[in-house]
Amino acid sequence: MSETDITPDTGSTAATTTAGESDEQARDAWTEYRAAGETKLSVEDINVWYGDDHALKDVSMDIPEESVTALIGPSGCGKSTFLRCLNRMNDRIKAARVEGSVEVDGTQIYHPDANLVELRKRIGMVFQSPNPFPKSIRENISYGPRKHGEIEKGLLARLFGRDDTEAETELVERALKQAALWDEVNDRLDDNALGLSGGQQQRLCIARCLAVDPDVILMDEPASALDPIATSKIEDLVEELAKEYTVVIVTHNMQQAARISDQTAVFLTGGELIEYDDTEKIFENPESQRVEDYITGKFG
Amino acid sequence: MARTQYDERLTTLRTDVVLLAETVLERYEDAVVAMATGDTRRADQLVRQDDEINSRYLALEQECTTLIARRQPVAGDLRLITASFKILTDLERIADLAVNLASRTEYGAAEIHDTIDIRTLGMTAGEMVASAVNAYETETSDACRAVAETDTGLDEDCETANRRLIRELIAERTTDSHDEREPAATVDRTTRALLTVRDIERVGDHAVNIAARALYMIDSDAKLLY
Repeated sequence: MSETDITPDTGSTAATTTAGESDEQARDAWTEYRAAGETKLSVEDINVWYGDDHALKDVSMDIPEESVTALIGPSGCGKSTFLRCLNRMNDRIKAARVEGSVEVDGTQIYHPDANLVELRKRIGMVFQSPNPFPKSIRENISYGPRKHGEIEKGLLARLFGRDDTEAETELVERALKQAALWDEVNDRLDDNALGLSGGQQQRLCIARCLAVDPDVILMDEPASALDPIATSKIEDLVEELAKEYTVVIVTHNMQQAARISDQTAVFLTGGELIEYDDTEKIFENPESQRVEDYITGKFG
Repeated sequence: MARTQYDERLTTLRTDVVLLAETVLERYEDAVVAMATGDTRRADQLVRQDDEINSRYLALEQECTTLIARRQPVAGDLRLITASFKILTDLERIADLAVNLASRTEYGAAEIHDTIDIRTLGMTAGEMVASAVNAYETETSDACRAVAETDTGLDEDCETANRRLIRELIAERTTDSHDEREPAATVDRTTRALLTVRDIERVGDHAVNIAARALYMIDSDAKLLY
């Protein structure tokens, strides 16, 4: 196992407080694997460069299925970069170079023949600012499935007897219900989505992501632009989604990570994953002194 | 609340818990001495002073609640606050037990019972409390474990004292069965002694609780809690 080959651990042995040593011990201690379920995403020795800037260094971790994994750390530590590695969104950044391996259910996503459209359908993403399409609520949900050819509508579809209006209605209702938005919008599905509140727009984006039936949902600070009530709804939703999906969430809000995640990965400046463990362990007794100092607000 | 202020409040919390412990321990030791020497004046004073302990205990408990509410502590900070919160309860109970001892003090009674050494038993429990609080203050995990070991000896001594008291009561009832008043007085005296031994044994248990919380705070080791 390499130095940063990190898997969640059940052990509770305390580490000494010397920064370098405790980081080492933190890594060494994570050898006994205990995940919430089977490994969904397996990341090995991921390195990312933006030009000459080495943004992510030798990160390895296994992310269990049907659970919430939080990525925390100070600004610029590489957590969003790491998140984007999981569905190859970094490919869209010209200066970015990625090396290493990411497997989803044992399939290498960085294989040259990987189908990126299929990959991003399977691993959906929700961003910091809600970004609904300037279309109706209904169209926001059905846009993806229509693009993927799962729903056919319109004149041609009707002419060829393939009109899926009923299927679309069912899909929209299911996705909105899963995103806990149905009760608030079911009487105005044809209204423009931009008329919704920020929190509703974010849940619509989650519903839009769910509509294409993903396995994994990546969330990049999904509640940072929302008020406490809207944040609470998103958090409830994340917990609910984890019963069926694998959720990986980047957050600056450590209390949020503590509230909703099963595992927490702490990245610190320099693009290193310092500690990855059960959330309770991280917030009650982290192995690394640097992690302790960060989560208690002593630096960062 | 900025981190600097927060650090100051955490330091103050720990200091105040130690100061409360010192007061509680002083009162408890005075109660043991008052009982052993029959000093009812000091005993009455100790009973009246318990309100002061209660109000300091409640103020510190409130400080823990405020720190949790305002800072949502994690890791070492969380363990310090939760350990302090629990230790405060143990200290308050020790103060109550000191009041029990004081309430049982009888004027001029040189010893509560001539066959058991209440002072030695009481002081052993007091030393355990002092060691546990010192371990909390100085973050010494070995000292926490030592308190738990001492408690085994105290429990045995208390058990021995209880057996002796009961054995003597039975023996006295057999020999003094013709006297109606004397057995009643003996029963009262023995009951008082038994309750006192029980209270001292409980002080020892609270000392172990304090040591267990301190060990959790220091090493996140919950072994002594079970």
